[in-house]
Parts: sequence; structure tokens; C-alpha cells
Amino acid sequence: MTTAREAETATATEASGASGKPIAAGVGGRARRLLGAVFAALVGLFLLAPVLVTIASSLTTTSYVTFPPKGLTLHWYAELLNRPEFLDSFLLSIGVAAGAAVVSSALGLAAGLAIHRYPFPGKAVLDRLFSSAFAVPTIVLGIGLLQWYAQLGMASSPLTLLLAHLVLTVPYTVRLVLAGLAGLDRSAELAAAGLGAKAPRVFWHVTLPAVRGPLIAGAFFALITSFDDLTIALFVVTTDMQTLPVRIFNYLQYNYDPTVTAVGTVMVLFAAVAVVIIERVVGVAHLFGADPEN
Amino acid sequence: MTAGTDTVGTESAPTEADPAARAGSTRGRLVLKGIHKSLGGKEVVRGIDLTMEPGEFLTLLGPSGCGKSTTLNMVAGHLLPDSGAVEVDGRDITRLPANRRSMGMVFQSYALFPHMTVAENIAFGLRMRKVGAARRSRRAAEFLELVGLDGMGERYPRQLSGGQRQRTALARALIVEPDLLLLDEPFSNLDAQLRVRLREEVGALQRRVGTTTILVTHDQDEALAVSDRIAVMAEGAIHQLDVPETVYLRPATDFVAQFVGEVNVLDGTAAGAAADGHRCRIGGTHLVTATPVGTAPGDGESVRLYVRPEAVRVRALPEAVSGKGGPATTSAPAAAEPGLPGTVEATRFLGTRVRCVVATAAGRVEATLPFGAEVPGLGEEVICAWQAQHASLTARP
Repeated sequence: MTTAREAETATATEASGASGKPIAAGVGGRARRLLGAVFAALVGLFLLAPVLVTIASSLTTTSYVTFPPKGLTLHWYAELLNRPEFLDSFLLSIGVAAGAAVVSSALGLAAGLAIHRYPFPGKAVLDRLFSSAFAVPTIVLGIGLLQWYAQLGMASSPLTLLLAHLVLTVPYTVRLVLAGLAGLDRSAELAAAGLGAKAPRVFWHVTLPAVRGPLIAGAFFALITSFDDLTIALFVVTTDMQTLPVRIFNYLQYNYDPTVTAVGTVMVLFAAVAVVIIERVVGVAHLFGADPEN
Repeated sequence: MTAGTDTVGTESAPTEADPAARAGSTRGRLVLKGIHKSLGGKEVVRGIDLTMEPGEFLTLLGPSGCGKSTTLNMVAGHLLPDSGAVEVDGRDITRLPANRRSMGMVFQSYALFPHMTVAENIAFGLRMRKVGAARRSRRAAEFLELVGLDGMGERYPRQLSGGQRQRTALARALIVEPDLLLLDEPFSNLDAQLRVRLREEVGALQRRVGTTTILVTHDQDEALAVSDRIAVMAEGAIHQLDVPETVYLRPATDFVAQFVGEVNVLDGTAAGAAADGHRCRIGGTHLVTATPVGTAPGDGESVRLYVRPEAVRVRALPEAVSGKGGPATTSAPAAAEPGLPGTVEATRFLGTRVRCVVATAAGRVEATLPFGAEVPGLGEEVICAWQAQHASLTARP
């Protein structure tokens, strides 16, 4: 947006510098729009290409992954039904991801409120910790968690996996909640109290609506982050309990048939459906922090 | 439970039909007794005593950090005083939480609920008091009309202008028929023109509904324009509490004099009571009059005099006094008249008025000449004089 405007200004300056050739600006404008459209299309293609390749190659009749696909078949989707371990992994992944979404929203709200509102010992440290958690490479986190769980004598379970993912997702939701609270006028809470609202009602009617968007966005990020995580899960899972990304990763080490691309396609469909539902319910604009005030 | 609940619950039909019918209310007598409050280790309110009569419009005027907002928040119940008491209609509410008081508060930032419509915002207080939906919306419509926002109930605050938002906040505060209306810098976020218009509207509305009102502001024009009384505050204490005319014309302290507009400060010695005020000798010989603030000073005591440029009259010195050989008949009464002689040092044209600077024995005296008055020439000998009631006399600090 800004770049386009700057470019326009630059061209206008050039045009006036060339003195008396306004037509050049018109031609240049058209060419620039065309180039812009091509550029946008290329960026879109770049982003979508891997997905398109995955979907296309899941339809191939060959017993190995290839692109472009040779022939068209849904055989590999039928094959999926013969591999219940993929379904188990999917259910495990989605369960843990849903748990991560719910728990990190709740924790994020509580921690965000505490950091924003109340002085307590270690507040600054905690605040900084939540900001820098993103900087820790997940593989380091995975190794650390492996050791830590071993020390504690905790056997792998969906719970340990969930805890591991919370380390990744809670900082997100805390940051988002803090951003939401920063946009809330504290006077509105005072106003509500002055109008007769007790503390829980002030929270319900004034505070919560202000962080509703951030909470939903945080839950969504947590869901995706957890569902998508391979690095940490690799260290925490067992052969009996594998998340979908781990299952695919392990499967690919010994096989290269289009079953994995079929799984991938199903995952993409799942994500698309999730996005559509969330868009319907809350609106994607909310999700990515667009200010509802404007 | 609270007074507000009772009022809303038991009010009669005619009152309901016309929100303005409550004018002349006898409710909302506020008494503050020895209020102290420290925030962050600093004492920001140091002993505030104040009594407001029902229906009064009082302004807490002062610079930022003078404790005026802190005081308001203690009345509202958002802050607890360290010592002292807050009483409304004889009831001690010092420790009563905000949600159980009956205060309508309007904030500088509007503090509207962004996810609620204008009508929902206005009806919020009724909703908290468990008033039914049908009646809520009817009352909200009445109050929308009261503040001139008819038909805007379905909009969201973000779709309103600043003035409309503040009108919404005002309606939201008034709908619960509060004991007191508390206005915390409500016009500060508005542009200059709108600020003036809205404050006139709020003043008129307050007189109609008759709710006891406290306005907190740092804008002396605002305070002078709308208040029944003004409490000028500095460093946590009230320096002067009086009607606007007195606060303006007869400031009690240096601070009040300087804060509420421009002022001439003259030091002298007290020289006995006069018929219309108190005499004061300036520069050893010249007698002027002023009205003492508090107890009158004894003769010969050092005093300080405050007089506004608008109150100073500048007259040409009669020939008889300045000239040598004039007829002696006119000289006697002219010399007896009180006033401070001096030389015109500068005149400045300021559009609607002319500012005249006169060098006198007590320093420069500034006078604002009324529109159409004859402007004295530079270097001309003049007498600066004023009525006793337009100048204040205080013990010199």
C-alpha cells in the first residue's frame, strides 16, 4: 500500500520533471498495475504451490508420489481407511490441539490480566519470559522437555504432550491478551462499576468483550501450532502414541506412496473448514488483530 | 439496596414521562470532611472539607496533579480515603463500594462500552438494576432525546463524533437518577468550539434535571462559565471556594490569582477601613481600595492586592494636578480620589479590546480598556483606579 503510493509519488515527480509529458504517466500507470497484478499472482502461486502439488499428487495412480499425477484415482484415500493408525494419530493431534487452545486461552487470560493489572514479585521476569519464549528453538525445547519429563518420571501421555505444547502456545495468548487489554479503557470498567455492576459483572460485560478477539485469535493460533508441531512432539511421543505430523514423518522414512499426500490433503481440508467456521463465527479480521473500533 | 435502585423502582409515572421533571431536587447533599489521600507515597489530597447543597454545580479547578480527580474518585467510590468521611444526604458512604453508591460519572475518555449500541450503553445502569427490557428501551429513548441524540440508539460508539459520544456518556450517567453527577474533564477531548457548546448544553441540562454536579477541570473559562461555585485547588488543598465572580475578581491567594486568568499584583500597607472596602497605601503615598479576603488586616500591616486588568480604569490625570498653573478649584477633589498614578508605557490592540501598560510607583499595572474607550497616548500621565469590590486584599505571604 505504502510502497505503491510512494512509487506513484515518485512517478509523478519524474513526470513533472520530464515537463509536459503527462501521457507517459498514464501508460506507466497501466503497466505498473499489470506488473502489480502479475507480482501478486506469483506470490499467491508461491504460497499455494506446495499445497496444490500435494493435492494433485494424492490423485496419482502410481504407487509413488509424483507430480504431475499420472492418471486420476481416489485409491489412496480408500487406502487411508485401511490404516487406522492415521485416524488414531489424527484424533490424538486434534484432541491435544483443542486442549492447547482451551487451556492456553484460559491461562493466557489469567496471566495477561495479572501482568496488566496487578503488581506481584517476579512480574517483570514473567513478562519478559513470555516475550522471549518465541526465541527458543523448538528443537532445544524438545530436548529439554525430554530430559525434564525423564527427571520427573513422567511417562509419555497426551497430557505431557499437551504440557509441552502449552510451553509454545501460552506466550502467544498472553501477548495477545495483553495487547487487547492495552486497548481497553480502564475508565469503562469504573463507569460500569459506578452504574451498579459488581466486579464479576464488570468483568463479564466490559473486560471480557475487550479481549474476546485476542482470546479467539490466541485459541486459533494455539490450535494450529499444536496441530502442526513436529519438532517437540518427536521428543515426547512414543511408538504407541504418535501425533499426525510424527506419524507422517515416520511413515515417510520407509514409504513414499501417495497415502501421505492423501493425509496431507485431508489436513488441508480440515484447516480450510476450520478457517471457514471461525470466519463465520467471529470474522477473520478480528482474528488478526484488526481494531474493531475502525 | 441503593438509593438509585429505590428511586428507579418507585418513581411515579409523570417523572418517568419527562426526565426533566426532577428539577428542584432536594437530594444529593454532599459533605466531605477532612479527606486525606496518598497515592504512591505522595500525599495528593491534604484535608478537603466541602459542603454542597442539593442541585448545586460545583467545579474543582486546578492544574494536573492538584488532587481534583483523586477527590472526585473518592466521591465516586473508586478510591478509598486514608482519612476523612464522604457523606451524601447525611449518610456516611466513605467505605461503600462504587457499585452500591448512586453516582453518575462521565469521563474524559468517554468510557463507553464499545461493543454495545448507544441505547445499550445508556440503559446499562438500568440493566444492572434489573429493570425489564421494555422499560429500559423506553427510558433509553427518553434520555437519547434529552441529550439530543434521537434516533441514534442503534449506532455503535465508534460511529459517533466526540461530542455525540460524550452526550451518550452523559445520558448513561443520568438515566440512573444519581445522587450526584460527576464530570471528570468531560470536555477536554473535544475541539475548542464543541467544548464551549457542549459545556453550555451540560450547564443547561444540569439546571433542568437539578442533579447535584461536580465538574473537574483545569480550564478556568469552563469553570467560570458553568459553575455555581468554584473550588480552586493546588497541591491537594482548596485555596478558595466561592462563586465565580468572587474567585475571578477577588482571588484569595497568589495561586488562585495567577491560575484564574491574568492579574496585577500590588504590594502595600493596610490603611484602615473605608465605606466600600479597605484602604491600602501603595508606594508609601497613593491610596487605593480593595476588599479584604477573610479578616481585615490591621493598620500598617503588609498586604498584597490583586486586581484584574479588566477591573482597572485608566483616566487621564487632570490638568490641575499635573500642570503647574491651572485653576485651583478643580484640584482638590481630583487629588482626593483614590488611584495609582503612572505613565503609559505601551498600548496593544487586541481586536476586541486594548491593553494598556502603565508604569507606576508599584511597578507595571496592566489595564484592559473597554471597547470604544479613548486610548491614552504613550508617555501620558494617567491614574489607574478600580472599585473596591473588584480587587482583593490579602495578608502578604
